[in-house]
Amino acid sequence: MNVLKIIEYLRGKAALLKMAFFLFLGALVLLDILLPREDAHYFVDKIYAFWTFFALAGCFLLIKISKGIAHFFLSKDEDYYG
Amino acid sequence: MDSWIHPALFFFLGALLLPLFKGKAKKGFILLIPAVSILSVALARYGMYGAYHFLGVEGLFGRVDKLSMVFAWVFVIMAFLGALYALHREEDGHHMAGFFYVGSALGAVFAGDYLTLFIFWEIMAFSSVFLIWYRKEKKSIEAGFRYLLFHVFGGLLFFAGMMLYYYKTGSFVFDSILPANASWPEYLILAGFALNAAVLPLHAWLPDAYPEASVEGAVFLCAFTTKTAVYVLARGFSGFEILAIMGTAMTVFGVCYAVIENDIRRVLAYHIISQVGYMVAGVGIGTAMAVNGAAAHAFAHILYKALLFMGAGSVLYMTGTAKLSRLGGLYKYMPLTMIFYVVGAVSISGFPLFSGFVSKSMIVSAAHHEGRIWLMQLLNLAGIGTFLSVGLKVTYFAFFGKEAAEPLQAKEPPLNMLWAMGLTALLCFIIGVFPQTLYILLPFPVEYHPYNLAHLSETMQILSFTGLVFYLLVKKLSPEVKINLDVDFFYRKGALLFMKFDEKVIAPFDTLWGELYRTLGLSALFKNAALSYAFDRKVIDGVVDGTAYSVMDSGSVVKKLQTGRIQTYIGLSLFLFFTLLWLIL
Repeated sequence: MNVLKIIEYLRGKAALLKMAFFLFLGALVLLDILLPREDAHYFVDKIYAFWTFFALAGCFLLIKISKGIAHFFLSKDEDYYG
Repeated sequence: MDSWIHPALFFFLGALLLPLFKGKAKKGFILLIPAVSILSVALARYGMYGAYHFLGVEGLFGRVDKLSMVFAWVFVIMAFLGALYALHREEDGHHMAGFFYVGSALGAVFAGDYLTLFIFWEIMAFSSVFLIWYRKEKKSIEAGFRYLLFHVFGGLLFFAGMMLYYYKTGSFVFDSILPANASWPEYLILAGFALNAAVLPLHAWLPDAYPEASVEGAVFLCAFTTKTAVYVLARGFSGFEILAIMGTAMTVFGVCYAVIENDIRRVLAYHIISQVGYMVAGVGIGTAMAVNGAAAHAFAHILYKALLFMGAGSVLYMTGTAKLSRLGGLYKYMPLTMIFYVVGAVSISGFPLFSGFVSKSMIVSAAHHEGRIWLMQLLNLAGIGTFLSVGLKVTYFAFFGKEAAEPLQAKEPPLNMLWAMGLTALLCFIIGVFPQTLYILLPFPVEYHPYNLAHLSETMQILSFTGLVFYLLVKKLSPEVKINLDVDFFYRKGALLFMKFDEKVIAPFDTLWGELYRTLGLSALFKNAALSYAFDRKVIDGVVDGTAYSVMDSGSVVKKLQTGRIQTYIGLSLFLFFTLLWLIL
């Protein structure tokens, strides 16, 4: 199957893909700094690469807090309700 | 065109006629019904149809306007895709339940008054529960009963509100309510609607029931109940601040659970709460752009969420499990399913070129325009969680990741399922690339262009850096063989507690009472009976016997008088006559 071959091929080039991904991330930040901001009203529009920081912090906290609460008291065995 | 055939009619009639067909004709019929209903929606013209007068109430079956039409469009399209996906199912009952469910959802969307709405609302609850029961497992039967009880409760809230509203206003007309005019009746109706929209804390029925539904039933379920609720909220309650706040809370709440759940369909079910949260928030913000966003998001969401449920359903159907902890490496066996799932996942995450990008961002932008920056931040935070849970976590752990411990003998699902997924994926892509196809259906004129530099930059930063954090913390996210408590804990454990209370307190008390009755009550009763018997024998019988003897005695006297000779009778009569005459005179 063709789709399968493409996926296998890409998996073989994992290191290269990783490189490309990091370069892409850098480019995104750079692009946001260069973006015109004449109609910025709120702080979220004014700060350079605001959404980069937002995503990093937000995603990290989301994982930590959700998993933390789950381990603290939400998580139960599958037959908990019988 | 003056007359119009309500599309719900096709579904109701279709459901009743379905058992008459066999073999290929049946398959054709199952696809024909939604196809004809698409035609009926396409031919509809704005206006009021099917007004009726019943018990002094003015009812209206068909209010066809822009808001009802956008929901009707996506409902009939979804009905077709869902029917195609479920085509391999042999049981008539499953298809009939699906048809009744879709028909009643359409009935609710076109209803112009509360009474009509209520009737369809209840048919919806009672037909959809069969889609859960058709999984035919103990867990589904139980979950179905909980689902039904919860919806009956919601229906009662709605009914009570509706009746009080009638006493307040003297009318059942269902139209926009101003927040300033709202009091008890309106808030009761709102609570009934909110329960169907899975607004916190009335949400637990959804992640409890949907993951237990049949593979094909879940595809229907995820589309209609919550979105009908979004429609009625948009129609009646736009601009209610509480909806803006609760909706935003739902978006974050849903993704938090989606991050920790193990079963794919449970991840997706929690994620419905999150996505419906966007729509509820849009309705709550209440501006033209926000309500447009809610309607657009409902449209886009029905398609990509159905696509995700189809993908997860295919995995469950082919491997026998939807638990991430038991899956892995499926891309080798189900590459097409994976691609379709990923299209759904990038659509829901709001990648440019896919439908979520052009719909979700309308609501986020509406919050931005209104200066609701905190709401906007939280909605974007939920966007992060969306991509993290539905996009990355499920795709990675089901289709890539470690190979499953027990080797999975999976293949691609049947052709009809693949076609349904393919068509749905195509629609997600078309809406993403040509947003105007969706925007022309929206209730208000649209002056929104999703493809601008600032929005693209914002979206790509959020998605890409979420990807980075996932890459770094992927081990933290590995699925755990657990379930997570939710507010259904209170009624599930509460019911168990009540059963224990019944077993430990009520039942022993009942036994004690029975014992007490047997020993004290019954012996008293026996003594009483003996007394009565004696009384009966000695007193009553004595009296009765005495009477009987005197009757017998007088009888023997009379007998002597009855000689049978007519001259004696005449003589006796004359004697009596003169005696009486003498006595009277």
